[in-house]
Amino acid sequence: MRCRECVEHLYEYLDREVTPELETEIRAHIQKCPPCSEHFDFETLFLKFVRVRCRAQGAPATLRRRILEQLLEE
Amino acid sequence: MTSTPPPASSNPPSPPSPESPPRTPEERRAGFEQEALVHLDTLYRVALRLTANASDAEDLVQETMLRAYRSWDRYTPGTNAKGWLLTILRHLFINEYRRRSRHPETVDVDTIEPFALFQEVQEEDPQGAFFDKIVDDEVLRAVDQLPEAFREAVTLSDVEGMSYEEVAKVLDVPVGTVKSRLYRGRRLLQTKLYDYAVSMGYIKGQSKK
Repeated sequence: MRCRECVEHLYEYLDREVTPELETEIRAHIQKCPPCSEHFDFETLFLKFVRVRCRAQGAPATLRRRILEQLLEE
Repeated sequence: MTSTPPPASSNPPSPPSPESPPRTPEERRAGFEQEALVHLDTLYRVALRLTANASDAEDLVQETMLRAYRSWDRYTPGTNAKGWLLTILRHLFINEYRRRSRHPETVDVDTIEPFALFQEVQEEDPQGAFFDKIVDDEVLRAVDQLPEAFREAVTLSDVEGMSYEEVAKVLDVPVGTVKSRLYRGRRLLQTKLYDYAVSMGYIKGQSKK
């Protein structure tokens, strides 16, 4: 596998949306290609960063209460 | 020749159900709390990204839960409750909230040239240390600046961890569309975050405005 092809599947690989065969091929390439390895690590970090930062916020407790009260009225 | 008599029962066989539907209102409510209410945080976060307004987001989620509860008997226990709820929420948003929402202006995809962040920073900060300096509110602001189609895909996949298939179902588009929206959405998001990091002096770079 060449770098270009590897990077083409970067997100699908990180999203765990590739076939097991392709996953094996990509993993093998990354292991022996430092630039691709660095690139994949960076994108992994980016996706984790987005997830963690955007999940910091949850529903307010007042909303949960309002909904529970509403269910009791139904 | 006479026609074949109809089978004893003309009703299609009912799908096997693991348990009989709850009978009392208490059982119904308990089931709803267990399977639907656990997704409250997800619904609220998605509602916030769609409406960009806490009070609209709360109303949207409350209305979603009410509608879901009223049609709870149509939900098959143990299937994808999160996707089901998000579909209700999204339809409600499109039909009743989108028109009056005052979502701040999003970036114009035609005027911005999204790029791969890694290529820009690989010399200076290949480990992405500058990410740590960006506060949560700035990340959310950057997500909110994405055009709606990209914002939805990024939120459902990257924030809420749904598969391409699940996202495609909620957004009612093919999986290939989800993939391309995610690709472009992530690139746009990286471009916004890069511009911000440069403007704050977290990285030297050269702003891509």
